[in-house]
Amino acid sequence: MPPDPPGAVADGPSRHLDLIAEMMAAFARSQDVLATLRLGLVRAVERLEAEAGSLFLLESDGSLHCRAAVGPVNVVGLRLAPGTGIVWRTIDSNWPQRVADTGRDPDFAPTVDDATGFVTRSILCAPLTAGAERLGAIELFNKRGGQPFSESDLGLLQALAASAALAMINARLLAELTEQEAMQRDLDLAAEIQRAMLPPPQGADSPVHGINRPARRVSGDFYEIVPLPDGRIAFAIGDVSGKGMKAALLMARIASLFRCLVKREAGPGRVLAAIESELHETRLVGTFVTMIAGLLDPARGRVVLANAGHEPPVLYHRGGFVEIAEGMPPLGIDPRLFDNGVPETVVDLDGGALYLFTDGLTEARGLVGGVMLGAEGVLGLLAAFAAMPAAERLETVLHALGGAVSLGDDVTLMVVEDRLRPPSGPAQRMFPARPEALAAIRSAVAVAVAGLGAAAGAVEACVLAVDEACQNIIRHAYKGGEGDIVLHVAREGDDIVIQLMDFAAPVDPDKIVSRSLEDVRPGGLGTHLMRSVMDKVGFRPPPAGVGNLLEMVKRIGAS
Amino acid sequence: MNITSTLHNEMAVLVLDGDVDLSCSPALRKALLERTFERRDIMVDLSGVGYIDSSGIAGLVEAYQGARDNGTRFILAAPSAPVLRVLRLARLDRVFTIVDSVEPIAVVASPGEPLS
Repeated sequence: MPPDPPGAVADGPSRHLDLIAEMMAAFARSQDVLATLRLGLVRAVERLEAEAGSLFLLESDGSLHCRAAVGPVNVVGLRLAPGTGIVWRTIDSNWPQRVADTGRDPDFAPTVDDATGFVTRSILCAPLTAGAERLGAIELFNKRGGQPFSESDLGLLQALAASAALAMINARLLAELTEQEAMQRDLDLAAEIQRAMLPPPQGADSPVHGINRPARRVSGDFYEIVPLPDGRIAFAIGDVSGKGMKAALLMARIASLFRCLVKREAGPGRVLAAIESELHETRLVGTFVTMIAGLLDPARGRVVLANAGHEPPVLYHRGGFVEIAEGMPPLGIDPRLFDNGVPETVVDLDGGALYLFTDGLTEARGLVGGVMLGAEGVLGLLAAFAAMPAAERLETVLHALGGAVSLGDDVTLMVVEDRLRPPSGPAQRMFPARPEALAAIRSAVAVAVAGLGAAAGAVEACVLAVDEACQNIIRHAYKGGEGDIVLHVAREGDDIVIQLMDFAAPVDPDKIVSRSLEDVRPGGLGTHLMRSVMDKVGFRPPPAGVGNLLEMVKRIGAS
Repeated sequence: MNITSTLHNEMAVLVLDGDVDLSCSPALRKALLERTFERRDIMVDLSGVGYIDSSGIAGLVEAYQGARDNGTRFILAAPSAPVLRVLRLARLDRVFTIVDSVEPIAVVASPGEPLS
């Protein structure tokens, strides 16, 4: 803290209190800070009987810019590059300057005098500072009557400079706030438009489904599902480079281009080539798009794909995954890359399901140690929920990821299923982890277990065991908070195998793998009932290490 | 689940109807505890209960313990097959006083006598 400048307190500004009060009030109610600064300068020149005065503000390029001037010569607009001179000495030292005789001050720079013809004899200069930030300076020249400026003059100028600096900071904060609010409104609107552009949820009988979860308000991801009049279904997934408004606007444009082009162009390769040529014409420098366009013929279970730089889709087929690796570089980089069009790949679904996703999904990071769950983890989840209806499966995978990892990026996931061979076998459903859902869960278990050939007594046992296990999940795993429960019912030989999965924090991650199947988490009557009515109850390693997986087995004997 | 609560000669009769699970067991517990605080004999008619889980059983056990401390009676009347099955699994069929009849008058008419 520097000591008070000479004269600032003692006989300082006290006799000019009226002027200080007037200027503080003017700054406080000012709508236009610069106008008030000019008024302050005029008042200071009058009161301190100066011949002239200038107000300099520091510009972002480091120069001083004269924004107001009083006196015989108008120096408004004058710019002073960093250098010597009394005003720079004031700013560099952040200390007020009083020069009684400029002829005897080696720092006095006569540049302005030489240019204007004004003769400077004495100077009073006070810095405009707010905290550590330097804003500029107020400078007065030549006290009328020939005598130099006094210590008390300096005190008044300092007091005026201080309230002026405060007003400038306030005005800047207000401007920033207003700008932020305007930007926020823009973003809200863009997000709303974007949400409205995504396809609506598809009917349960649709073979193509998609889901999107934006990481921030505005997403660069998109997907499209467009049923064509001939029964085929065009679809697309893409990711625009960059974030925020620019990416969102480009995404909106490409999505609407796609909807228009699929009705005109023959095949996904031609569609992507047409989008590339449109992008090139608008010359979007530094922005590129990864995108897959596809066309499903549900009657033949066949998909035609064209991939421009996007994550390779994977086909889930008979319990395994096959990556569809063929592809081109992203769109928007160089149109010459697409001179020969975009090659197409034909995929026969053969009862399988084709998954398309953006890298936000595979880059989702695990809760434990920030480890990437990776594509393998995601595929593990997709396989674990393979028996679920498609739309519910996508939602479940995102819930599972959301519960266990932080989704740092936009996440989009699509599935294209073969309806020629509807999946049969185990039943899999997702329910909210709430007491009100227990009745629906019991009824789903009863239907599924009876459907697998179990007698009434075994059905009743499974219903009770699942209800008790769900109670544990609701009360202990989610601790009464929001969550989901996935129910999986299957028959393996003479066994009904029921799995209940939650996405809560692992009950005890170190012990889950090694715990024996007979060992259940501690509980009272509920756990006893589960053990009593089922033949086996225990934890299993959950798919992709996400959440908890409880498995219960009921032997129903040979049917 | 529906709970109908009435008085018969100073005995509280709670008639339960429907499934008793975690979504409604807190309401059952509250109704039972209110009657227990009134130091009344309580009969719970379980003939209309299609399903009960451990959270519902826990409410009945709490009321049983309250009645024991009060020196009042706590009677389970005509439990349906699913209820009886869970009571047996929990080995509580030997703890609760269980009667076949839902007629409360007959029970209070001969205190101290075997009830079933």
